[in-house]
Amino acid sequence: MSRRWALALTIVIGIAIAVAFVMDQTKTVSVLNFSLRYAVPLILAAMVGIICERTGVINIGIEGQMLMSAFAGFFGAALSGSMLLGVLFGVGTGMLMGAFLATGAVTWKMDQIIAGTVINIVAVGLTSFFYAQGKVLPDIFPTFAVPGLSSVPLVGPVLFDNNFFTYGALIIVVLLQVLLFRTRWGLRTRAVGEKPSAADTSGIAVQRMRFMNVTIAGALAGLAGAYLSLEAAGTFERGFTAGRGFTALAIMIFGAWNPIGALGAAFFFGLAEGVASQLQADEVVAIPQQFINMLPYVLTIVLLAIVSGRVKPPAAVGRPYEKD
Amino acid sequence: MHRKILVAGLGATALFLAACGGGSSTSTASSAAPAASSAAAAASPAAPAAPTDDSNCADPTVICVGLVTDTGKVDDKSFNQSAWEGAQAGAAAINGFSKYIETTDPKDYAANIQQFVDKGYDTVVTVGFLMGEATAAAAKANPNVNFIGVDQFNAVDAATQPNLTGLVFPEDQAGYAAGYLAGLTTKTGKIGAVLGTDTVPPVKRFGEGYQAGAKAANPNVEVTLVYHAPDNAFNDPEWGAAEAQKQLAQGADIIFGAGGNTGNGALIEIAKAKGAGDTVFCIGVDTDQYNTVPQAQKCLLTSAMKLLAEGTSDLVGMAANGSFPAGNYVGKAALADYHDTASKVPADVQQKVKDIIAGLTDGSVTTGVQ
Repeated sequence: MSRRWALALTIVIGIAIAVAFVMDQTKTVSVLNFSLRYAVPLILAAMVGIICERTGVINIGIEGQMLMSAFAGFFGAALSGSMLLGVLFGVGTGMLMGAFLATGAVTWKMDQIIAGTVINIVAVGLTSFFYAQGKVLPDIFPTFAVPGLSSVPLVGPVLFDNNFFTYGALIIVVLLQVLLFRTRWGLRTRAVGEKPSAADTSGIAVQRMRFMNVTIAGALAGLAGAYLSLEAAGTFERGFTAGRGFTALAIMIFGAWNPIGALGAAFFFGLAEGVASQLQADEVVAIPQQFINMLPYVLTIVLLAIVSGRVKPPAAVGRPYEKD
Repeated sequence: MHRKILVAGLGATALFLAACGGGSSTSTASSAAPAASSAAAAASPAAPAAPTDDSNCADPTVICVGLVTDTGKVDDKSFNQSAWEGAQAGAAAINGFSKYIETTDPKDYAANIQQFVDKGYDTVVTVGFLMGEATAAAAKANPNVNFIGVDQFNAVDAATQPNLTGLVFPEDQAGYAAGYLAGLTTKTGKIGAVLGTDTVPPVKRFGEGYQAGAKAANPNVEVTLVYHAPDNAFNDPEWGAAEAQKQLAQGADIIFGAGGNTGNGALIEIAKAKGAGDTVFCIGVDTDQYNTVPQAQKCLLTSAMKLLAEGTSDLVGMAANGSFPAGNYVGKAALADYHDTASKVPADVQQKVKDIIAGLTDGSVTTGVQ
């Protein structure tokens, strides 16, 4: 999205939140909590997309990577009796799925869409088949209120009284923004995604770089999956990622392949969901429920219309690298 | 250009996922169930001994009852299990034989029904809304077999299709009883509900019954009903959990979760909240969710139940003695046991709720829900 649009939208939403906060603090804070909570897996999944595409690989298998990791995380924790082990299982599975995509899309130079689709299909099949009913998580994760900051009105209870996944996701976004645009790794990654032949000429191992980045991104998909089953839903159900991996790709495009931009876009999605459900709960306006439920989707279409044509994907995305 | 590829891929993947969603395994498991209880046979010594297998089912004097599960096991502690218990009890009462087939793939619905038809079964019970179409088709093709569709609204009238009954439930009554209990129990004066989509009529009846019941118990109680969007409405536990947390934060102390896994997500979230089972409670739906969602036991006050076993058993009996009520048969609603939270519900409240359920059953109390 062009900076002017993003800025205007941020200001409008900011004013709306401030007005709502003055009118009803409890409701505003709870709606914002809902939004952030809903956005966390989208944020993490969008980071997966950004790392992969910045390095020249389309990852359409985020959905499947998340589903597999959510499965491994949940059953890992339920069977081992340790939540922490569950997270490790989830992240490890995500990395494995990342390496799987890298092997197909980078090493074997498969069509990247097909490689990702394979992951989605395999994930649905495996997790449905091995799904078992009646398993229970051994524990719940604690939340942590940052001393001092959490008592700031509005911002405190929303941003600084959360679980560790949420803090982790926010830190990862900032970290990735710095890494991508301020470090040697970032420059190389972007070079490989924009013009791999030039990168190769200047001595960057294109294939190795792509393989490594796609695998690391898989770990983030694993974290997103673990968050879904271990923290957010507290359970695993067949196909319960419900298209979030695909939504994340749309968010990545809204965010113009920028971590901070994607963070904003993901929060905007969460906010749309939260506001839609609050409008229903309050029955403030006599709009049929179906229309309120439509809100997030309509907003998506409007935003896509605004954004399309204004942002450009990395030039080499989707093409396996062949030496001339 | 590349974005086009991406979008095409997105579409293709989404389509594929939609097409294969739910379909998971390939084989159709079937196993013989224990024969009808010998206690029933002993109780009526004049009748011939209950058959122990289905080899004589074609014989008109031998009553055989077959049950086809929806995708899931017969011991799922939910719909399939309740219906199977009902079919067994019903068959035992009429000295008949009963057997089940577990469906593993929705594509096999028709084939599984056909297995029973081929062996000459007298009554076939199919479980779940999703099997409605296959059941109606089988009923049309086999006029000599009685079909009972559990939780399937039957759109064909009794005269056209005298051998098919949809066993449906008064969800509004179950919701009403749950709402009544919530209205009497709430300390904050605010209660909530996290529901599947209002485009599915039973879900809407649960929600509106809940609201009506709460208002009947206490006109000042504030009721919040929130429905999921129709897309993926019953398999979004993350949304259900987030919505439950939001309602708790806004002061609701009792929340009704009704919408498959979406509702279960809400129950699990409430069980994690501060004061769960003490000041904050949840209410389940359909069957006793103390068994189906063990993670929610801590906060679970009760469940707004459909009495599947009783309805199925009654219908099996009616099919055998010639009084089969074609069309739709309305079963009963009830509330599940209080289990761990029994001490939190005062005796007079328990009595009032009991009275309301009795009133709903005999028709002296109406929910006012269409």
